[in-house]
Amino acid sequence: MSQIIGVVNYGIAGNIHSIKKAIEKAGGNVQIINHKDDFTNVSKIVIPGVGSFKDAMQELHNDDLLNTLRKEIQVKPTLGICLGMQILSTLGFEYGKTEGLDALKAEVKPMIVDAKVPHVGFNKIDVVNNNKLLKGLEAEEFYFMHSYEVVNYTDIISLTDYAGHKFVSSIQKENIYGVQFHPEKSREAGIKLFKNFIEL
Amino acid sequence: MKTRIIAKLDVKPPYVVKPVHFEGLRKIGKPAELAKKYYEQGADEIMYIDIVASLYQREILFDEIEKTANELFIPFGVGGGVKTIEDCSKLFHKGADKVAMNTYAVQENPDIINQAAEIFGNQAVVVNIEAKKWDNWYECYTDCGRIQSQKDVVSWAQEVEQRGAGEILLQCVDSDGRQRGFDLELAKEVVQSVRIPVVVSSGAGKLEDIKELIEYARPSGVAIASLLHYDKVTIKEVKEYLRANGIEVSK
Repeated sequence: MSQIIGVVNYGIAGNIHSIKKAIEKAGGNVQIINHKDDFTNVSKIVIPGVGSFKDAMQELHNDDLLNTLRKEIQVKPTLGICLGMQILSTLGFEYGKTEGLDALKAEVKPMIVDAKVPHVGFNKIDVVNNNKLLKGLEAEEFYFMHSYEVVNYTDIISLTDYAGHKFVSSIQKENIYGVQFHPEKSREAGIKLFKNFIEL
Repeated sequence: MKTRIIAKLDVKPPYVVKPVHFEGLRKIGKPAELAKKYYEQGADEIMYIDIVASLYQREILFDEIEKTANELFIPFGVGGGVKTIEDCSKLFHKGADKVAMNTYAVQENPDIINQAAEIFGNQAVVVNIEAKKWDNWYECYTDCGRIQSQKDVVSWAQEVEQRGAGEILLQCVDSDGRQRGFDLELAKEVVQSVRIPVVVSSGAGKLEDIKELIEYARPSGVAIASLLHYDKVTIKEVKEYLRANGIEVSK
């Protein structure tokens, strides 16, 4: 059975083009999810992310995707990317306090670090809990582009060091994964991550 | 912290061109082909600037941008002629990861920076500064180095940070395309005046210029155009050289 990865298209702020292309390069089939009924056909879900926490939640609500998405991610393997990972959290603090999808007990806060913010560029990940998503990628570099970080203590699968500050770069809770970096912008290593996700 | 090595494409659709002092255009090749070439050489990012969109006051040519994005699995920044939130949105949907703004924000409506940052996140908003040196200050230019603004570069850099820009692309009207080294003082001053990343462009003529810039001004990234376009060096060689000189760069 060929599986279809659903990429959630919410409002004006998603970079779905890049993610679709990278999943296809990794051998997956993509369905863009524009409507809540589109979830029926997909076996896995990717939540992309370019934008702000507040805006993302608002757009999911406006597009009538929010309630269905909340239910779907309980049962289907899900990968949140950058902001898509952040909104899996309970609360976000970008442009005011906003409730997230609450799939992870976590909060999203500004990075406090003695260096340039946003954190932009390729950086290593330190895998602290073995898992299928990051298998074979322990020595790779990934592209980061963010000003906020997910604060969580229980579901961390990788950490990343930015100017001496360690933050959560990937997370997993049961079927739900999140990565703070952009696999779709991380050369071959990112394609490999999508392959791992397809093979979950 | 790894310094990003970025390939910059100055585009006058359908070609990448290389102006000297932002004038005297020379055709280099097609954007999609060059972007792919630099991606394969190990570029950390590609920055695509349509250098005539504002000047000619014409619409952004999205097809060329989409074609270029299709070849890439690294971040892709796009600028030139961006005036509305709708422009930004369309660019992101065509494959851009960051949108660079200059003319419209400087000359007409700086609030576009705030609006874009709130909708797309700070990290997706780049402000492109074209600096021109005067006796004891630098002035922001627009429309590809043609039009004066009376705005001081350092105060403008600080203002755009306040407004929510996530990055500054610093170009220099005097040294762009001349391949005679960067304006080091300008770079250092801007890097030190803001907390957001600054990518410095305009001036790389040899590998030593890049090393000197990084050591002196500590920018977050260096954008290179002519040096690559004329096949004087490859990105791979730039990175090997920097690594050999103790400067951290990505693989």
